[in-house]
Amino acid sequence: MNRMIKSSAFFWAAIYIALGILALILFAAPLWYAWRVTINDGRTELLLEDTQRLTSVFQHSGRQGLIDFIHLRVGMQIAGDRILLLADENLHPLAGNLQSWPSTLPDKDGTYTVPIPLNEMPTQVVVVKSTLAGKYNLLVGRDIARYAPLEQRFWFGLAGAVAILSIVGVLGGLLIRRTLMSRIQGIRQTVSAIIQGDLGHRLITKSSGDELDTLSGTINHMLDQIEQLVQGIRNVSNTIAHDLRTPLAELRSRLEVLAVTKPSLQVTFAEIDESVADVDRVIRIFNALLRLAEIDAGVRRSGFVRVNVVRVVEEAVDFYLPATEDKEITLAFSAPEEVFLAGDPVLLTQAIGNLIDNALKYTRRKGSILIELVQFENGKVNISVADDGPGILDVEKSKVVERFYRGTAGRDTPGIGLGLTLVEAVARLHSGKVELLDNHPGLRVCLILGS
Amino acid sequence: MKVLLVEDNERVSCFIINGLQEAGHSVDHADNADVGRQLATTRSYDAIVMDRMLPGNTDGLTLIESLRKEGLRTPILILSALSDVDERIRGLRSGGDDYLTKPFAFGELMARLDAQARRSLTNPEEIHLSIADLHMDLLSRKVMRGNRPIALQPREFKLLEYLMRHAHQVVTRMMLIENVWKYHFDPQTNVIDVHISKLRQRIDADFERPLLRTVRNSGYMLTDHE
Repeated sequence: MNRMIKSSAFFWAAIYIALGILALILFAAPLWYAWRVTINDGRTELLLEDTQRLTSVFQHSGRQGLIDFIHLRVGMQIAGDRILLLADENLHPLAGNLQSWPSTLPDKDGTYTVPIPLNEMPTQVVVVKSTLAGKYNLLVGRDIARYAPLEQRFWFGLAGAVAILSIVGVLGGLLIRRTLMSRIQGIRQTVSAIIQGDLGHRLITKSSGDELDTLSGTINHMLDQIEQLVQGIRNVSNTIAHDLRTPLAELRSRLEVLAVTKPSLQVTFAEIDESVADVDRVIRIFNALLRLAEIDAGVRRSGFVRVNVVRVVEEAVDFYLPATEDKEITLAFSAPEEVFLAGDPVLLTQAIGNLIDNALKYTRRKGSILIELVQFENGKVNISVADDGPGILDVEKSKVVERFYRGTAGRDTPGIGLGLTLVEAVARLHSGKVELLDNHPGLRVCLILGS
Repeated sequence: MKVLLVEDNERVSCFIINGLQEAGHSVDHADNADVGRQLATTRSYDAIVMDRMLPGNTDGLTLIESLRKEGLRTPILILSALSDVDERIRGLRSGGDDYLTKPFAFGELMARLDAQARRSLTNPEEIHLSIADLHMDLLSRKVMRGNRPIALQPREFKLLEYLMRHAHQVVTRMMLIENVWKYHFDPQTNVIDVHISKLRQRIDADFERPLLRTVRNSGYMLTDHE
């Protein structure tokens, strides 16, 4: 029961039932009041009319005439329904259907509600008391209890409505709770499976697109992201282990050989230089990894400023331009005057630098590189770097952005396999993406940045 | 040059002290912020090398801030294992003049220290720079070697200007990337070497005495000294 009370479905059902009852009462109360007033007014009017008629009978026919009239009326009627009583000045009954003048009735003329014993039962009765000429007292009344069954039916109706409302409300609450519980149970089972470590599970979504479905969809999306990240971390640990081990192993053997063979001073120094180069390589990998971690953590988004990306690309092109002359590569750049977006200029520069650097590495002698910057109508910016080098095989395209992956074409060029990974991370930070397209021949890398 | 080193790691301190003494400089060493503050305020130095992480309550940046508040003008080079761009900015904002990430090559540290220590000697307002027969006019943006004018691209001009302002000093590739291009990442290729060789073609190719020299394992130096 405690769980039932804690259930939000039940809680809301209770609130709705209470609100329903309140609405019913708000509806019934004025109705009840209006009804009462109308009936009372009508009744009093009738009684006054009766009184008037009897008074006029008295005026025309005198005392005996009225007594006869009353006898006639009483004889026609069912007792208790209507009260008629004529009494003398000492309140002794002369004619009518009451045995005695009611003792609780005030002396003054007027309309009163008083208890009068009818059929040996004291009953609330509305009476009009009037004094006729010669100090005769006339009492005309009607039994209120006549309307009691109607009133009772009204109350029964109201109570019935409340009861139906409550029952339907409780049943509805239970039903909603059961539906909710079964779906939440499903979510809970999936989530527990995920907590156990099986990230492959997904919440079941119906096509209804209701609130829970939307939530499930969002959670599934989050799970996809988490799974991807976890997968990424797994890959990274493996590849870091491999890629750092290689230069470290080289370094170790170099130093060991040095210690064992004790070569000439000149050779020793040359070996030390090589060792420092090995260490530098390890440091470079570490720096690149730290940079990636920094970008992936998203902390740099706080450092976003309004950047003219055209200027950023221009400067990067300017920076790398001399490096094209060695291989007689043609480097062309086309862009609009200026394109502004919110971003991190340092990271954008590095990402574009990496792309140009890659293109330079893989472009053949006398090849050409084309860098284009286009802003789409939806505000997105596409920076594409196209070369006419060997390109990337389709099967490798999804892999080259992974950490440490090096395409078959790039195995014998220098690099650590983190360049495109960084570009991709920078794109993601700027709500964009990296696309690798075929340039026929060569590769066209598109860095798409969200506005 | 008189250098104050504030660094708590013994091995790193040893490495720096040995290197500096070998290069003919004298070094005072403090292994915590309090001793560092005392030395920095009581003696005069040409440059201070400050580790960012120091034992005790005061870290390097706090010490730099308080020293700057007390009016100390000595150039300070910050050493730190934190390599983020934001960390670097924080370091320079606290009053440091340069920021070097650990691990570093000694040549890099030495070159940067030299640049900082001599910065106080050179006048940034200078409009005319010259070494031997190489002259640069910063106002008209003209460069002459001997009697011959040399045409330079804007970027080549900036590169040469930086080298001339640090004449007779070793300038590392990283210093060039940071100061000439304002980039704070490792471009991974030999782009800087290409830029330098292009500049060398312009200013040295037709002359008997080359001025722009490569310093092995460190960087470059613009000098006419033998």
